[in-house]
Amino acid sequence: MRIHRRSALGTHHSRLRQLASAIILSFMALSGCSKPGDESRRLRFAVIPKALHIPVFDYARTGAERTARRLGGIEILWRGPETTDEIRQKEILESFIAQRVDGIAISCLNGDLLTDAINRAVDAGIPVVTFDSDAPKSKRLAFYGVNDIEAGRALGDGLAKLLGGRGRVALITSLGADNLQKRLDGAREALARYPAINIVEVFDVRDDPVRVAEIIAAGAQRYPDLDGWLSVGGWPVFMRNALDPIDPARTKFVAFDTIPPAPDLLRAGKVQLLVGQKYFGWGEESVRLLKRIIGGDRPQEVYHYSGIDVVTRDNVDAYLAQWKQWESGAPD
Amino acid sequence: MNPPARVRLLPHLVSGWSAALILLLEFGFFALLLAPRDGGPHTFANASNIALILKYSSIYGIAAIGAAMIIGAGGIDLAPGAVIALASVVTGDLFVGGGWPLWAACVAGVGVGIGSGALAAVLVTAASLPPFIATLGVMGITRGAAFLITEGRFYDLSARVASGMAPLGVALALWPGVIMLVLTVVFQVLMVRTALGRHILATGGNEVAARYAGVRVGRVKAFVYMSGGALAALSGVVLAVVQGQGKADVASGYELDIIAAAVVGGASLSGGRASVVGAVIGSLIFGVLRNALTQVPRGTFADRLILGVAVLVIVVMDRLATRERN
Repeated sequence: MRIHRRSALGTHHSRLRQLASAIILSFMALSGCSKPGDESRRLRFAVIPKALHIPVFDYARTGAERTARRLGGIEILWRGPETTDEIRQKEILESFIAQRVDGIAISCLNGDLLTDAINRAVDAGIPVVTFDSDAPKSKRLAFYGVNDIEAGRALGDGLAKLLGGRGRVALITSLGADNLQKRLDGAREALARYPAINIVEVFDVRDDPVRVAEIIAAGAQRYPDLDGWLSVGGWPVFMRNALDPIDPARTKFVAFDTIPPAPDLLRAGKVQLLVGQKYFGWGEESVRLLKRIIGGDRPQEVYHYSGIDVVTRDNVDAYLAQWKQWESGAPD
Repeated sequence: MNPPARVRLLPHLVSGWSAALILLLEFGFFALLLAPRDGGPHTFANASNIALILKYSSIYGIAAIGAAMIIGAGGIDLAPGAVIALASVVTGDLFVGGGWPLWAACVAGVGVGIGSGALAAVLVTAASLPPFIATLGVMGITRGAAFLITEGRFYDLSARVASGMAPLGVALALWPGVIMLVLTVVFQVLMVRTALGRHILATGGNEVAARYAGVRVGRVKAFVYMSGGALAALSGVVLAVVQGQGKADVASGYELDIIAAAVVGGASLSGGRASVVGAVIGSLIFGVLRNALTQVPRGTFADRLILGVAVLVIVVMDRLATRERN
């Protein structure tokens, strides 16, 4: 709408808009928007990570696509929000329900928010499994991942032993995700068994690796006599320099996740203990579970715990050798 | 001789039509691209998927109505994303924590938006701050207030909203789209049929001239910022009720998509031109793109890139057309 007079050139304006749209749509066509071919006869499994920018999920994708090729007749639709946008993740999930894919595997940013959509999918006959981060109140048919309470305990116990059972510690988490909350609960529970250990603060980094670097730097200023840090997610070890403000001779650091470059930080002495997950397994096992369910073999148990890998300086080389095997195709 | 009002209304209404044409072409393109080859059901062009597009586009679309008016008046508002979050949190806090009736909590949620809009208006008019800076401050204050209220937790409205709830016989999931469409009509009429609508665009076109012509520019600005705040807050309230959660970190970064929707819909960032219908269609253009790209290989990796290119191409074409016309 214009406040001033519209001229006969409005028609021309309209033509230019049409030209614009043609350019955009051509661009879309050229930028990889291809018809999925004769995929309709294959099973279409949607695999949805928390976000595309979180590096651990690259390995889940590799695992899912590898397993789909091994099993045959499966197409993996790997889609997720670019950032940790819960509403966008739900939009993607609901879009797959509207598309009536054959199965959905999802790592939930916010399990409660996704519960009604997951229930609708299951009610509509689309099997849903969760991996890494669960939606425990939903009707999902299976969950594959670590037992987060036990993983949190492993972190808490590990830090307590490194500190000799005493000291001031800070915890790092990202509020909202069910799995991170359970790890936090497990870590708190383990640390509570050591009366001389005092938790001075819990930091929320909102799943942001840049924010974690800022928080560690600020925390090191605020608590110069801090004895230990514990991170229930891998944000601090996804970057090489986030831990630079910490003096490893004075302050110990334990963290979740073992993907590169975390083992290098362990070797360099910046981190003393890492707890790893079955990253490739998230994709591999999710696809296997969906295929099983579609074949009529619904698992009796919902929880399929993967176990954890506790990595220290003593076993980091053996772990890296194992990692190479996983990368080259060995089952996780 | 002036044409009758009905005829004069037409150019205003059709101003969103070129955006509508883009929307139709876009939808048709994806309907063809994603057409099933085996004769099975269409996974994109079906009623439930269109309802889904409306549901998610409305988060942006309701707020984009306000953004179009603000931009038309020569301003800019960076706060809608944060206001959406704060309104969802306040609604959740009062409904879940305070035990308020749902309608009262929703009204309070919208009230928060009016308040934040009033703050922006005071900063822009009384303190003469540039709108960019004023609303940047309001964005920080509202997002910060949401985090202060929740302390990282969230309010679970879904536990108290009856499942299968269908006010007036319309399923809850369809209400965001219905609200967006009704508001589009209301505000489009306001913009094209009332003196206030003309004053908004006159203020954005040339503030000094508008003042000499007797337009009460301060009141106009107060109206657009408060309306914009109320509409963003309404989007947050709808989000909280329909999605079932009030949470401080929702809608982060949505303000830029909301502004982009208004601009794609014909609003000029230099003021004086805006279309409510166009802004809503702009949000639908983005909604169709987001929805369709989940069905395209590597689509979700590319959606920001394609959105960025779409905004630039449409605005550049619009600028060229305007230059020719002038």
